[in-house]
Amino acid sequence: MSIAAAEAKELETEQASGLYRDALSRLLRNKAAMVGVVVLVLFVLAALFAPLLTQHDPNVRVGPLASNPEGPTAQHWFGLDEQGRDFYARVIYGTRLSLLVGVVSVAVGLSLGLVLGALAGYFRGWVDSTIMRAMDLMLAVPAFLLAIALVTVLGRGLFQIMIAVGIVNVPIFARLLRGSILGNRETDYVLAARSLGTPGHRILFTHLLPNSIAPVIVQATLAMATAIIEVAGLSFVGLGPADPRFPEWGRMLADNANRLDQSVHLVFFPGFAIVLSVLALNLIGDGLREAIDPKLKD
Amino acid sequence: MLRYLSKRLITLIPILLGLSFLVFAFVRALPGGPAVALLGERATADQVAQIERELGLDQPVHVQYANYMGNVVRGDLGRSVVTRRPVTEELWQRFPATVELSLAAMLIAVLVGVPLGFVAAKRYQGVLDQSSLVASLIGISFPVFFLAILLKYVFAVRLGWLPTIGRLSVTTTMDNPTNLFLLDALLTRNWEALRDVIEHLILPAAALATIPLAIIARITRAAVLDVLSEDYVRTARAKGMGPAIVDRRHVLRNAMLPVVTIVGLQVGLLLTGAILTETIFAWPGVGSWMLNAIRARDYAVLQGGIVFFALVVVLVNLLVDISYALLNPRIRYR
Repeated sequence: MSIAAAEAKELETEQASGLYRDALSRLLRNKAAMVGVVVLVLFVLAALFAPLLTQHDPNVRVGPLASNPEGPTAQHWFGLDEQGRDFYARVIYGTRLSLLVGVVSVAVGLSLGLVLGALAGYFRGWVDSTIMRAMDLMLAVPAFLLAIALVTVLGRGLFQIMIAVGIVNVPIFARLLRGSILGNRETDYVLAARSLGTPGHRILFTHLLPNSIAPVIVQATLAMATAIIEVAGLSFVGLGPADPRFPEWGRMLADNANRLDQSVHLVFFPGFAIVLSVLALNLIGDGLREAIDPKLKD
Repeated sequence: MLRYLSKRLITLIPILLGLSFLVFAFVRALPGGPAVALLGERATADQVAQIERELGLDQPVHVQYANYMGNVVRGDLGRSVVTRRPVTEELWQRFPATVELSLAAMLIAVLVGVPLGFVAAKRYQGVLDQSSLVASLIGISFPVFFLAILLKYVFAVRLGWLPTIGRLSVTTTMDNPTNLFLLDALLTRNWEALRDVIEHLILPAAALATIPLAIIARITRAAVLDVLSEDYVRTARAKGMGPAIVDRRHVLRNAMLPVVTIVGLQVGLLLTGAILTETIFAWPGVGSWMLNAIRARDYAVLQGGIVFFALVVVLVNLLVDISYALLNPRIRYR
């Protein structure tokens, strides 16, 4: 590497870390986003340490079968469900599934979307138009409907559902990254790298991707929120994870929706678990967006 | 404008072709294939072979695709396995209910969302701005079915102010020339029925409106903030134009451009939201019809519904693009 190139690289990494450090400090000063982080951390802890947070097994009967089961008591904080299971344990264990689906489905959507978006943005021409037309096509089918169709075809296994919800996100990530790369493609630093003879793949991976990734990270947080709602929705229409051993918030809502008059707790707790976790992710996403692009705020 | 229009129409062709191919592939990818999906898993080999012959499934794939396309173009989406009636017929029967619900929801979302976003931007960083931001974030975080259940419980079951299910009370009679009950009641001047229809419409429409409302309010706020800092707004104020006129002629008119796009993009959200909302309120539209199809594994209906929803979304997006070009001459001449 020539001295000039080494210097250019050093300068750039310095600038890059500065950019992200600035963003981080802005994020830390954003109270709403920090509330979101705290709530999310609590959910993650609940998912990880579920067995420590409750002595009840979510799948074992501890009370009588009842059409209008007992509400919250000192012994059973969230009451019992119609099969006599401890509802607090079921909601806490439900955290595992929702968070897992959120993370894995976004990872699926993100990795496929990033590859396609990077290819389209970098190569342009026919590669670009082929990929982007396919993405337009996927966007023409409403997201939830696409997820329904995919689950119908793939089946109701947990893994299949995560894939289905993830695929729905692919066009969103691909478009976002492509747009971002196209914007950065003509910048001076890319021109500089090219004139120094840096090979194409190096430009893509060391220059374009790191500089284009910010909006994608924001979108990933928001997509995780959507994924939690989508899985709950799939459960609600009867296409959720088929395995009854995994308690799932959307399924609890669906099962108890018509029992609302007698047992409010069976709808209230899973419903608010969904709202809280989604709200936390949305707060973080918004905070990240403002932190990365301070122009939005000022 | 004509050139823009024809260019935009041509881009529809690959989308529609791709869509037809996706749905064609969807049915063929169903577990066990379309014949087993139709007959159930306990079908005998003979039955499967017979159905495959009847549906033309024993022919080469490209012939099948051509047949399928021919049927779709003629408006034949097959027959429901459950009711044995043509899918298209049921679709047309149920579509007005969904249109009415979606339009009512969109109306609420725009009528509340746009003023809310506008006022929030004018009071930037004020109490109203902050609280509307929080409210819209909470609105976006509510799954539509949970909200629908809560609204139904509070306003229909507990307070008894509004009816719990359906489009019309059993005791109300009315003529239905269009099947859009609101319009029917107005056309036939049946005020009794009009009141009943509106009462039935409020809760499902409010539930369905929440997320679009929150999104529209956020986009309006951002767009107004953008426009407020433009030079032409400053110039208009500097030359002594009244604040209300500046707001109307300069700020709102320019800020509405992104809002129009967003309103169009919400249509997909409304239609899928309708699947859940209609089910909770037993609203006899396309959404609850599709949910029943999912539960009964009525794939012909599900396939027809998907084609139909996607078509609506594509066409609405086309309309949005056209209205956008009409509103914004810069697009037309690009």
